[in-house]
Amino acid sequence: MKSPRAVYALARADFLERVRRYSYLVTLLFAVYLGYAAGTGQISLRLGDYRGVYTSAWIGAMVSLVATTFLSLVGFYIVKNAIDRDRRTGVGEILATTPLSRISYLLGKFFSNLAVLMSMVAVLAVAAVAIQIFAAEDRAFHAGGLLLPFLFLTTPAMALTAALALGFEALRFLRGGLGNVLWFFLWTFGIALPGITGLAALDPSGLWTVYQSMVPAARAGIPGYVDSFSLTIADKTVRVATGFHWTGVDWTPGIVLARLAWVGAAWVLVLCGAWFFDRFDPAKSRRKVDVGARGESTAAPVAAPDLRDVQGHITTSVHLTPLAAGARHSGFWRLLAAELRLALKGYRWWWYAVAAGLLTAQLAAPLEVSHGPLLAVAWLWPALSWSALGTRETHFGTGQLLFSCARILPRQFPAAWMAGVLVAAGTGLGAAIRLALAGQSAGLLAWAAGALFIPSLALALGVWSGTSKFFEGLYTALWYIGPLHRVPGLDFTGSADGPQAGRYTLMYFAVAAILVATAFLRRARQLRGT
Amino acid sequence: MKLEIQNVSKTYRGNVEALRGFRLEVGPGVLGLLGPNGAGKSTLMRILATVTQPTAGRVVWNGTDIKRDPDSLRAVLGYLPQDFGIYPNLTAVEFLGYLAAVKGLDAASAGKRIGELLELVNLTDAARRPLGGFSGGMRQRVGIAQALLNDPQLLIVDEPTAGLDPEERVRFRNLLSELAGERIVILSTHIVSDVEAVATDIALIAYGQLVAHGAPEALLAGVTGKVWEVVVPSAELAELRNAHRVSNTAHRSDGVHARVVADVAPRPDARALEPSLEDAYLATLAAHRQRAAAEATA
Repeated sequence: MKSPRAVYALARADFLERVRRYSYLVTLLFAVYLGYAAGTGQISLRLGDYRGVYTSAWIGAMVSLVATTFLSLVGFYIVKNAIDRDRRTGVGEILATTPLSRISYLLGKFFSNLAVLMSMVAVLAVAAVAIQIFAAEDRAFHAGGLLLPFLFLTTPAMALTAALALGFEALRFLRGGLGNVLWFFLWTFGIALPGITGLAALDPSGLWTVYQSMVPAARAGIPGYVDSFSLTIADKTVRVATGFHWTGVDWTPGIVLARLAWVGAAWVLVLCGAWFFDRFDPAKSRRKVDVGARGESTAAPVAAPDLRDVQGHITTSVHLTPLAAGARHSGFWRLLAAELRLALKGYRWWWYAVAAGLLTAQLAAPLEVSHGPLLAVAWLWPALSWSALGTRETHFGTGQLLFSCARILPRQFPAAWMAGVLVAAGTGLGAAIRLALAGQSAGLLAWAAGALFIPSLALALGVWSGTSKFFEGLYTALWYIGPLHRVPGLDFTGSADGPQAGRYTLMYFAVAAILVATAFLRRARQLRGT
Repeated sequence: MKLEIQNVSKTYRGNVEALRGFRLEVGPGVLGLLGPNGAGKSTLMRILATVTQPTAGRVVWNGTDIKRDPDSLRAVLGYLPQDFGIYPNLTAVEFLGYLAAVKGLDAASAGKRIGELLELVNLTDAARRPLGGFSGGMRQRVGIAQALLNDPQLLIVDEPTAGLDPEERVRFRNLLSELAGERIVILSTHIVSDVEAVATDIALIAYGQLVAHGAPEALLAGVTGKVWEVVVPSAELAELRNAHRVSNTAHRSDGVHARVVADVAPRPDARALEPSLEDAYLATLAAHRQRAAAEATA
């Protein structure tokens, strides 16, 4: 670190800029909610059907694991805008002209990311103290047992999250929606890593560390206990093993070093990120095709002519034909076609090739595969097209151009939504044809509900949040639980059969309608310009 | 065709007053809206373009309150904001085609219009290239083209020549002059020479209020016989600035040629000059500041 003062100043300014936004309050409220969910048992650390008595150690481990898992997932999306903000505001170009090194810049952003995440962890630490006071199952308060898990479990996980968010921003191809979608899978992989490898050291979340301490104690303390351990969103009542007073992880030097190694890994990630960071050089951040186009379009510099000399010679000789009286009343379909073109424009050739391949596969594969995994993948593929719904105007700054046009609400709004529906219908058409040919009207209805639900969710989240990240994160998580793991009720493709399949279809139609209505109301308010 | 701005005020969060009781009536022709940075020009433009609403007062277009029926204005409005974005993956033709569809133009009319407009803004050769590769000036020209798509009756352009090279700037000025026949053009800028070149009417705005409104000649009349040129050594320039309102200086071999706005000749050797709109603008603003300061003191 060559310039600690510069790093500090950068981190401080970035942190202040973030915490002075209203969205930061929402971030803190999310942390409060997580604390509330842990305190009320909506999220619980379970040993099969049991949990231990709420000792300081148990509560500390439980709440810190809530932070390392849920906060690392959501927190990534919250902090993954540090470099992007400087890029959008133009501050980045100013910084790029200073002697500030790439490493110093990324370190400043890393500390700002970490500070934001740790402020949320602090809220959860306070919640942990409150849980012990109000639950009052064990009145013996052990500060070490309660708070050391936040230091050794949560802090390294947050450092890793802060560094990964920066790394994703530094790499051009992970900067946008693709990175947001991939993060969910990387996060899932990180949680499962020690289980997959059997190596306790490969445990970024700290779950395995607690598991290795808690399970042997539970075997001795809970009669009939078999090695079950989970941190879950509670779906059934948990019983308190009244005789099991867990005293916490024994923080041996080996365990502490293993945890601190993740801080080191975060540090290395920041340094690697600095290697890839383009330092706001637009030539490096553009795609090759754009650079070429830019090069062609930029004429050699010419001496500025004296305006008095050219005034008389430059004329606008081109004639603008006045518009005919009926020219301003074109149909809705032309606008829909324009919105559809906008939704599908900008991808590389292989994107369309994969979409076409998935479509063909849906037609060729057995029905259960076509309506199952193939449709699931086909409806993940255009996620970034849907995530632009409702956010495109903010993201590209075209809001003023669009919102000063007539009849935006009755024309452009539904056209954009319908373009999203057409993308869903088009990419999943193979499964629909197969369902129709098989005479499965219920399945076809469920497919239709899914095709309406996805763009409705995207539009509502986009219009309300102004960013595509919410949809990209939430939709990926929902897709992972629902269509991929075929959890009834959450599988919006309708492939998960069950006695309540019809009800779920109706539910998705209703939810889609509600989402579109809320998006409509929000857009109407935006158009009023108040 | 009439646009009435009736006692319009706009207060932002934090009690920041951008406009205070602004009144103006605008008819066909080019209205140049001049004012210093932060005067409230862009806020007024956004209100007139129905992008935002006034906190108080109203804007009436041909007898219709645009807050009640914004589409009555939007249907005939062309708007070029000060800051606007583009969709980088679309070509100029596709982007204009998209906005033409949003504005409700039929395909045939839109196609013809877009071709003419691209020729008008000198972008025919770049029409099929992605906008992401356009320079700032080229994007600005796309913005100008989109504002003219629907053959607007009211054309609002906010700092339109920012980023344009001198040749394109002149081309745009000429275009504005040609367009202002049976339509209203409102040109907001802080570049006095742009206004001087095309405006048939000028409104000066400062601190969110209308300071002056009239034909360019009327504003110039206020400083006729009050603009002087004096030549002073460089060392005396600071003293001259302290004593008089200096609107421009030019360093020459015989000293600094200073352009001074004053009721009487600042020095016996001062030479009377023809006033420019810039002189009138600076003098009017200075007088307004003095009046405001006096009122605040009283």
